[in-house]
Amino acid sequence: MSKEEKEIQTVQQPEFSFRKYSWKQFKRNKPAIISLYVLSVFAFVALLAPYIANERPLYAKYKGQTFYPAFTSETNYRFQDPQSSDSINLQLDITDWKRLEYESVFWAPVPWSPTTKDKANRRWVGPGDPQRFITNTGDTLHMPSRFRHRLGTNESGEDVLAGLIHGTRISLSIGFISMGIASIIGLFLGAVAGYFGDNRLQLARGRFYMIILSLPFAWFYAFHVRAYNLTDAMGESGFSFLIALLISIAVFAFVIVLFGTIGRVISKGNFLGKQIYVPLDTIISRGIEILNSIPVMILIISLAAMVKEYSIIYVMVIIGLTSWTGIARFTRAEFLKIRSMDYISAAQVMGFPEKRIIFRHALINGMAPSLVSIAFGIAAAILIESGLSFIGVGLPQDVITWGKLLNQGRENFHAWWLIVFPGLAIFLVVTVYNLIGEGLRDALDPKLKR
Amino acid sequence: MLKYILRRILIFIPTLFVISLIAFVISINAPGDPVENLFAGAKGGEGSSASNAGMTKAKDELRHELGLDLPVFYFTLTSLSEPDTLYLIKDKSHKENLERLINTYGNWEFIQEYYRSLIALRNEALIRTEADSNLLKQITSDSLLIIEDNFAQKCISLLRTQDATEIKSKINALQTECGRFSSLGANNFLERFNSLLSHCENTFAAVESNSSQWKTWIPALRFYGYNQYHRWLFGDGNWLTGNGSEHCHGVLRGDFGVSYATRKPVTETIGRALPWSMSLTAMSVLLAYLISIPIGVQAAAKRGSFFDRSSSVVLFMLYSLPSFFMGTLLLMTFANPDVLSILPANGVGPATGIPEDATLWEKFNMTWPYLVLPLICYTYSSLAFLSRTMRVAMLEISSLDFMRTAQAKGLSSNLIYYKHGLRNALLPIITVFANIFPLAVGGSVILEYLFGIPGMGPEILTAVQTKDYPMIVAVFTLSGFMTLVGYLVADILYAIADPRISYSKS
Repeated sequence: MSKEEKEIQTVQQPEFSFRKYSWKQFKRNKPAIISLYVLSVFAFVALLAPYIANERPLYAKYKGQTFYPAFTSETNYRFQDPQSSDSINLQLDITDWKRLEYESVFWAPVPWSPTTKDKANRRWVGPGDPQRFITNTGDTLHMPSRFRHRLGTNESGEDVLAGLIHGTRISLSIGFISMGIASIIGLFLGAVAGYFGDNRLQLARGRFYMIILSLPFAWFYAFHVRAYNLTDAMGESGFSFLIALLISIAVFAFVIVLFGTIGRVISKGNFLGKQIYVPLDTIISRGIEILNSIPVMILIISLAAMVKEYSIIYVMVIIGLTSWTGIARFTRAEFLKIRSMDYISAAQVMGFPEKRIIFRHALINGMAPSLVSIAFGIAAAILIESGLSFIGVGLPQDVITWGKLLNQGRENFHAWWLIVFPGLAIFLVVTVYNLIGEGLRDALDPKLKR
Repeated sequence: MLKYILRRILIFIPTLFVISLIAFVISINAPGDPVENLFAGAKGGEGSSASNAGMTKAKDELRHELGLDLPVFYFTLTSLSEPDTLYLIKDKSHKENLERLINTYGNWEFIQEYYRSLIALRNEALIRTEADSNLLKQITSDSLLIIEDNFAQKCISLLRTQDATEIKSKINALQTECGRFSSLGANNFLERFNSLLSHCENTFAAVESNSSQWKTWIPALRFYGYNQYHRWLFGDGNWLTGNGSEHCHGVLRGDFGVSYATRKPVTETIGRALPWSMSLTAMSVLLAYLISIPIGVQAAAKRGSFFDRSSSVVLFMLYSLPSFFMGTLLLMTFANPDVLSILPANGVGPATGIPEDATLWEKFNMTWPYLVLPLICYTYSSLAFLSRTMRVAMLEISSLDFMRTAQAKGLSSNLIYYKHGLRNALLPIITVFANIFPLAVGGSVILEYLFGIPGMGPEILTAVQTKDYPMIVAVFTLSGFMTLVGYLVADILYAIADPRISYSKS
């Protein structure tokens, strides 16, 4: 082996990957790793909530028939009683499942749904208090231990544990989806602002003016013409509103692109054809500053009051639309560094379009610090949601959340289980996300490595 | 420096303008008509006829007083099909319905005719049912009593119907009803309705046949001189001198308008609530800084020690502990007859009120038990955050040369950290300080709600629930202003803490 070859080998040998390195660092952080495990338990509970806490049995054999009531989407079961040959109709939503006489039955781990009102245990029955069970004949017995309300009930007799389990779903999905929206906006705006700065994006003057001109038109066609589609969809359901909103955004983008294309055609001659700089960074930074100077809680409460009826999706969208500034700022700072790096220059020299450089080359590398912000952001979103439901804004009446349970406990301090358990659940999830955020920060910031 | 401050204050203006615009946009898009809401408690809807004329007049006056009879902004971007005078239609439900019709048919001239015919029908129905009720009572037939009850309602419901088939079927139903009773003798009364109804039918047919839907696809810009936003900014008098203003003097003269909910000036409400939020925030900030700086410095000075590790864990827990959970727990423990009942649960003073002649000391003695729990809640979360920030900042500083020099000189550790280190580690702490200003206005909505403090929080919550938008816009603008002030103060403090920071351009 010649000397030169040896040199090449030694240069190539240490395959240093920042991602692998960071992951190794992250794995060293015990609390963060434990948090990941705890989080996966929460995610598991959230995913399987309807099968973990359900008043309907998972499997039941009743009068010779086999059912899986917790898994079905049917509304009633009709069948013949083999003994008396009467026709029996079990209506799934109103049947009192615990009082049927089964041949064999397999209950969900928590045999209560969050909205089942157990009339025998109304008015704050605690976990350790004697709980009552009323049989078919009207006798009052001690609650069979299988059906006990392990974490007590609230005023109307709803099981707290079941509420907590279903609340996990709401909390986690609010965290994920709202931060999903926020990170899409934040990453995009931050990347664009940081990469182009104030003096890198050059446009022909004609095209620039056309794009400015396109904004009112885009707004007109996306939101004014479609105003009734949007309000009607809002009246229908949160999901159809989301679809309608996406269509509007697509229309908005389309109009801008259309005007941009026209602008490209007319950009000729001395005046219109002259290249000018677009101060993207200034525009976006100003926007972030303005959004930051509005108190998020007040903004969210007033936006939540604007919608005709409360829905989880609106809360998600509102939190997402208002909390992207942190992510954008981190990404922008990172892109300011990245844009002068060699590999970006190389890509530019090779003539790649800017879109490709930003989103395929730079974004992967510039995302790391915003991951930290996203983890903290999820914690904050969960806190905001539980705070909102604590003061009774934003979420529909029939949805049980941790914040609502906690608020119910406020009415009666004797019912400590309504305060402690939901509060602990919020605390735990927020802590877990904060720990993951810290772990990520330590792992991704080599400066802190000591 | 002075120049820099002046320049920053100049930047305030466009930012505040945008913030107030955002608040304004939110408020005009809110569902419901504030005037109708105010009257809803007094009387249900426009149906009953007895006091109707007087009520309409009162409503119009109120609308004028609140400036709701004006266009919203200096300009609007609408479609070509919409007239620029649509804002003159006062009833918001009528307006919304007309907008729907315009959106479907795009021919305002015809829709206007149709609307006029409906209004004529409604007025006739309201007057007739009243005037002819005697006549109707003479013909004591059950079916005619039904006319009296339902007829006017049905006519009015047409004003809120937008679907073509529904409109036609409603008109038809009214016509057949008229026809059915014409034999009963009230001919005079019904004939008039018949002609009005057929007029409605004709005008609607004209709307349908002359549809110009394409107009809804053409954008149009309309300008207005005097409008709600202008009125909000400058008042309803002369915009420069403020002469001749009747109901509102404008934000620029310190008048935030009149609350929709209480009909009292917003400034008055804010003036009453703001001191509570401000003083609580100020006290808690002071406490938080007094406690957190020593903790942070100590933790950094004895890095890795038991104190450092245990305080880190405790502070982290505190940091993640939701304040409303902490607050409820505190209330459950200290204001609960079952456990300890040593502190009051709600409010900021005894329910009987503080006697007028109480001395300052007595007043303080009566108030402080109410403030203990809120202050703990206000303080602990910022305390945790501040200490952690302080620790990190101090750690970064402590490895620098000048700190080592100080150590080498043999200075005491107090002198090293508090005299040499602290000033250099203050920058992150100052950044946090800037965020506190808007809190003073917004308050902590949740905590004030929980502890029943009559600060800005409950006011904001009721304002949002009652759709009291002058209040919300005021809070938005004020807290935006405070944020900007916070940034400015932070910038000045940076320069004071670190003389190397200079804002002059040279």
